[in-house]
Amino acid sequence: MTPASDETRLPAYIIRMSLMFRVQHALLMATLLVLALTGFALMYHENWLGRNLIRLEGGVLYRGFIHRAAASLLMAQLVFHAFYMLFTREGKKELGEFFLGRRDFSDFLQAIRYNLGTADEYPKAGKYGYKEKFQYWGATLGILLISVTGVILWAETFSMRFLPKIVLDVTLIVHGYQGLLAFVILLFWHIYNEHLNPSVFPMNNAWLTGRVDAEWLRREHPLEYEKLKREGVI
Amino acid sequence: MKLMRTLFLLAATAAATLLLPGAAGAAAPGGECMECHGDKTIEKSLPGGGTLSLYVDGSAYRDSVHGKGSCTTCHADAKSPHGKLAGVTCGKCHPDAEKSYAQSTHGKGHAKGAREAAYCSDCHGKHDIRKSKDAASRTFRLNIVGVCLKCHKDRAIEEKFGLPGQQVMEAYEQSVHGMALKKSGLLGTAVCSDCHGNHTILPGDQPRAATHRQNIPTLCGKCHSGILEQYETSVHGKGMRGGIAESPVCTDCHGEHRITKITDPSSSVYTKNIPRTCSACHEKEGISSRYALPKKRFATYMDSFHGIALEYGMTKAANCASCHGFHDILPSNDPASRVNKANLPATCGKCHPNAGPNFAKGSMHVEVTPQKAMGVFAVRVFYTIFISVLVVLFVLHVGLELYGRRRRKHAEEGGKG
Repeated sequence: MTPASDETRLPAYIIRMSLMFRVQHALLMATLLVLALTGFALMYHENWLGRNLIRLEGGVLYRGFIHRAAASLLMAQLVFHAFYMLFTREGKKELGEFFLGRRDFSDFLQAIRYNLGTADEYPKAGKYGYKEKFQYWGATLGILLISVTGVILWAETFSMRFLPKIVLDVTLIVHGYQGLLAFVILLFWHIYNEHLNPSVFPMNNAWLTGRVDAEWLRREHPLEYEKLKREGVI
Repeated sequence: MKLMRTLFLLAATAAATLLLPGAAGAAAPGGECMECHGDKTIEKSLPGGGTLSLYVDGSAYRDSVHGKGSCTTCHADAKSPHGKLAGVTCGKCHPDAEKSYAQSTHGKGHAKGAREAAYCSDCHGKHDIRKSKDAASRTFRLNIVGVCLKCHKDRAIEEKFGLPGQQVMEAYEQSVHGMALKKSGLLGTAVCSDCHGNHTILPGDQPRAATHRQNIPTLCGKCHSGILEQYETSVHGKGMRGGIAESPVCTDCHGEHRITKITDPSSSVYTKNIPRTCSACHEKEGISSRYALPKKRFATYMDSFHGIALEYGMTKAANCASCHGFHDILPSNDPASRVNKANLPATCGKCHPNAGPNFAKGSMHVEVTPQKAMGVFAVRVFYTIFISVLVVLFVLHVGLELYGRRRRKHAEEGGKG
């Protein structure tokens, strides 16, 4: 531990996730887990995975109850989150950090070039770099799509009045594969970025404590670090 | 010898009774004969050891259907005293029964000398024969099963003649027909002779047998006539009457001796078992190509929500019969079929009241091929490619990051130094 001389007086930690976001994250994690377990039970009903999951969930009837209860919670979170991001002071600030720009794409390309050795500098990320933004917007759009298709399937008596079966068949398949896609993103992208990446291994604790190491922020999110420094937080 | 002694005793008693005045009361049926045969202890020794009782229960005889006749009607050669009498031939008075019996599997066996093959007396009794309408008769509806099972539950007989085993007989007792008989004492239930016949009984593989495939619908229709009427209009019934031997008859779906109520989970037509019962034929390559039937009906059903729900215990979920019907099943191109395009709203509407003509667009058994379900196929292909590519890109990205990190670390350390 040999921090640079002007950093010795700095607080060691920065709050990265407020309690409000930690609660939202924990709820999201729990609901997505339940939805994945109850959803894949149906999607893989013909093999051991589905059979065991359905048994675990108390049969196909209760699987449905659990899935729809979790789905209701997820959609409530989606609505709450939208309102929170659009209408509260903290939310508006965070939403601003998440705005996608041309810069994120060029950052992505620069990161690749740097990793390949053809650029000299690794792109400097703000509070959220292209990896976080991809995760955030991917998850939001995915949850929107899976919610819409899910509601169509749930309200099947209503949907049948307006939609031909062929459309419902497609809806079902989109719903299932969208779930698989979300699962794959969480498995490969989120698990790497927040757990396996050597800079946070074994885990970025921010989702529990809200805090990150100031030194970590300086290295991984230098623009945010500089901004906080200018604002006198650090 | 003991036999000689017995015969001598017999002769002596007979002679004594003849000499006693008034003892020869031949007016009452069997009166004269009963003087010896009314003695409960009278018996003869058999050559193989053991004895045969020669006692005749006079009151049982008098109550029998033949009770008003005389002994000599059947035992024509009986004089007193007498030795071994000739066998009784019922056919003298019952020629029709004898004729049909001779053509039956029992009659043929008996003619060949099989001692075990049932003879008149094995089912009807001897001196105590009663009319089959009489509740005390061996051949009364409620008693027949017991009479048949006397031999047909005998393992030695079953093995000797290659008859269906004990399980088959026991299955009848557990069946809806057997339970109606045993538990409810219903005269209307099917007992052995209702299906197999009585004097004319033949094995089911012989075309003249009542239980031969081609006779089954008519046979079951004797009692289930409303069902038969429906069946005759169905594609299966028409096929069967048209001489297509593999067209299903009642027993193909319901079973034979083991027929149970459709609410019984062990029934082959219990809601959960129906898909497999239908698939026993409909998934057979030969049958589906011979009759140009659509394929993969079972797999596509089992992959649908109905199939999954049924498989995992939601008995409310639609099975084959819920949509296609059962006794009156018709191909979808028949305007009267429940699964004809025009009738689908009504058929789906039984459970889904909002399913209108608009809903019926698209196939019900979704076979995911470009020709049959382009939409589902395209979405599936898109997601499969998309997810696979994404996984490859993620892995590449992670690999590059790990590779690049070494450079960054090196640069930072270099910068610091």
